[in-house]
Amino acid sequence: MAAAITSPVPVAWYPTLAIFMLAIGLVVTASFFIYEATSSRRNRSLAKELTTGALASFFLGFGTLFLLLASGVYV
Amino acid sequence: MFKQLPAEKLRTDRLVMGLRFDLLSLFTTLALLSTTTTVLSDVILSRVDRRIDLTSQIARVTSTLKVENAGPGPVSEILITFPEVQAKNLAYLMAALNEGKGKVKNSGISLPIKAVNPEGMPPSLIFHSVSLPTALGEGDSLTIDVLAVFTHALRAFPEEITQADIQLVLFQDTAHYLSPYAVNIQSLTVKLPKSRIESYTKLDNTNIHGSDIKYGPYENLPSFSYAPVAVHFETNQPFAVAQELVREIEISHWGNVQVTEHYNIVHGGAKSKGEFSRLDFQARPHLQGASAFRNLVAKLPPRSHSIYYRDEIGNISTSNVWDDPKKTELLIEPRYPLFGGWRTTFTIGYGLPLQDFLFESEGKRFLDFSFGSPINDLVIDNLIVKVVLPEGSNDIFISTPFPVKQGQETKISHLDFVGRPVVLLEKINVVPEHNQYFQVYYKFNSLSMLMEPFILISGFFFLFVACIVYVHVDLSISKSSASYLAKMQWDEVRATIQEVQSIINQCLSTHEKLEASLRDLSRTGDVQACKTARKTADSLLKEYSKELKPLLSFLQIFSSGYSNITLRWRSWWQRRGSCKRG
Repeated sequence: MAAAITSPVPVAWYPTLAIFMLAIGLVVTASFFIYEATSSRRNRSLAKELTTGALASFFLGFGTLFLLLASGVYV
Repeated sequence: MFKQLPAEKLRTDRLVMGLRFDLLSLFTTLALLSTTTTVLSDVILSRVDRRIDLTSQIARVTSTLKVENAGPGPVSEILITFPEVQAKNLAYLMAALNEGKGKVKNSGISLPIKAVNPEGMPPSLIFHSVSLPTALGEGDSLTIDVLAVFTHALRAFPEEITQADIQLVLFQDTAHYLSPYAVNIQSLTVKLPKSRIESYTKLDNTNIHGSDIKYGPYENLPSFSYAPVAVHFETNQPFAVAQELVREIEISHWGNVQVTEHYNIVHGGAKSKGEFSRLDFQARPHLQGASAFRNLVAKLPPRSHSIYYRDEIGNISTSNVWDDPKKTELLIEPRYPLFGGWRTTFTIGYGLPLQDFLFESEGKRFLDFSFGSPINDLVIDNLIVKVVLPEGSNDIFISTPFPVKQGQETKISHLDFVGRPVVLLEKINVVPEHNQYFQVYYKFNSLSMLMEPFILISGFFFLFVACIVYVHVDLSISKSSASYLAKMQWDEVRATIQEVQSIINQCLSTHEKLEASLRDLSRTGDVQACKTARKTADSLLKEYSKELKPLLSFLQIFSSGYSNITLRWRSWWQRRGSCKRG
C-alpha cells in the first residue's frame, strides 16, 4: 500500500518558525558579541564562548533554512 | 468562398498526382503481394470501421477490427500494417479489446504491441504485432480497437501563405484498409474541422455529410488492398509544435515538487510570407491571420502554486490562472501572435505539494508524475524529462508505460555537497496521448534531510569560531613597544577592576542579607537566628577582604587608576563598621 509522503514540518509553519528561530539566534549572537567585547582577556571562558556560539549557530542555521523554505527556495 | 484560380487548381491536382506516383512502387509491390501471399491468410477481418479525426493538428485514426479465425490452428497475434511514409510520423499506437457493442471507447485493457518484421514482406511496409490475451480458436471472432496517432501528417498546401490567405492542408491515406488479411466489409470516415473542403478524391461509394467524408462500405477486398485518397481542406487549429521541451521535476522532501518547463515552440502550419500588419490583425482577426494563434492553455495539476511565465527578457505579464479543486488552468499569451513558421521560447514553472506526487511503498519512495506537457494539443518533437532527486537518493529504478531513452546525470543545486542524482528520460514525437503517469523509485534515508541545516549550522559556527580565534590571538608584531606594554597593563588593570567589582557586589549582597535578618529580629525577636546570620556574614566578609587585599595592592602600583576604587572601598568599609555597631 502506497502512503503519501509529507514534509516533516507542516509547510504553513515555515514563516513563523523562520521568524522565531532567527530572533532567538540573533539575540544569542548579540550576547556572544557583547561578551566578546566586554570581558577582558584574562577572565574570559572559552567554554562559555563556544557554547554561546554553538547555540547561536543552531538557531541561525535552522532559522535560515526555514526562511529559505518559506520564501520558496526549496532546498 | 473564394474562387480557385485555374493555375492553383492545376498545382493541387499535380501535387495529388505526385503523391500517387510516390506511392506507385508501394502500390505495385502490394498488388504483387496480394496475389502471392498466402502465409497470413488464416485470419480474416470480417468488419473494419475506420474513423480519421483531423479536427486538430494531430491525426487520430481509430480502427475497429472484427477479427475472425478462418483457418486451422489457434491465432494469438494480429498484424497491423502501416506504409513507411506514414509509420515515420506514428507517435502513438494502442490496441484494446472491444467487449460487446455499445461500450465506451477504450473500455478494454490495452494489449501489448511490438514492432515485427515478418519474412517476405517489402521494406516499405512497417508491421506491428498485437498479442491477444487468449488465442483465437478456429471459427472464433473478437473485436479490437486500434488507435494510431500521427504527427505532421497534415501537409500545408500551399506551403506559404500571406496574412490574408486561408490555411489549407492536405492529408493522404488509403480508402481501403491496408492489412495483410482479407477484409469482408469496411468503411472509412474522415472527420474534418470545418465544412470548407477544397477538394477530395472521389472513389465509388463516396459520400459527404457536413464536414465528414465517408468512403465505403467496400466488400470482399483481398489482403494488401490500397486505394490512395487525398483530402485538401481548410483548418485554423493551432499548429503548436514544441521542437524541444525540457521538463525539470525537482523533488524536495521539505514539502515541494518544483516543475520547470522550457519550451521552444514553432507554428507548424503554412509558413507566413509577405509583411505582417498588426492593424489588420487586430481589426479583423477572423479574416486576417485566422491560422495564427495568440495563446496556449496549460492544464496544471490541482493545488499548483508559485506559477511563473517568463523568457530571456524577463517576466511575461500576459498570463492568467484559474484555480478549482480539480485542476489549475494557466492561459499564457506569447509576446506576439504566432504565424506559420514563427517561433517563440519561454519558460513556465510551478510548485506542487509533495504529498500529491510522492509516495512510499515497501521501503522505497516513488514519484508518480505525468510524462507529457500540460499544454493542450501540443506536438512535441523532442521531449526531455529530468527528474532531480534529493541528495543522498540511491537505488533508482524507473517505470514508464511506453519505451523511452533513459540516462543519468548529477546536478549541483542549493546547499549540496556531492550533487543530486538526475534521471533523464528522452522521447521523440510526443502527443497528448503520452500524458500518462510514470514512476521513479528510489531509496532515501530521512536523516539525509538534516544535511542542509547541518551545512548552514556549521557555516555559522565557523563564523563564531573565527571571531573567538580573532579575539584570543595576539596579533601585534612588536611585543616590546611602549604602546603594546601599556595596552597589556591596561588589560590587567581592567581585569583586576572587574574582579574587585565582583567582590564588592558580593559584599553588598551579604550586607543586604544581614540587614534583612536585622529586620526579622525587630519583627519576631528571634535573637538566635540573627546571631547565626551575623556569624556567617562576618566570616564571608572576612574572606572577601582577604581576597581583595592582593588585588588592591596590585592596583596601588598604578596610582592613577586606583584612587577612585580605594575611596569607594573605604567608604563601604566604614558603612559596614557602623552597621555592625548598630
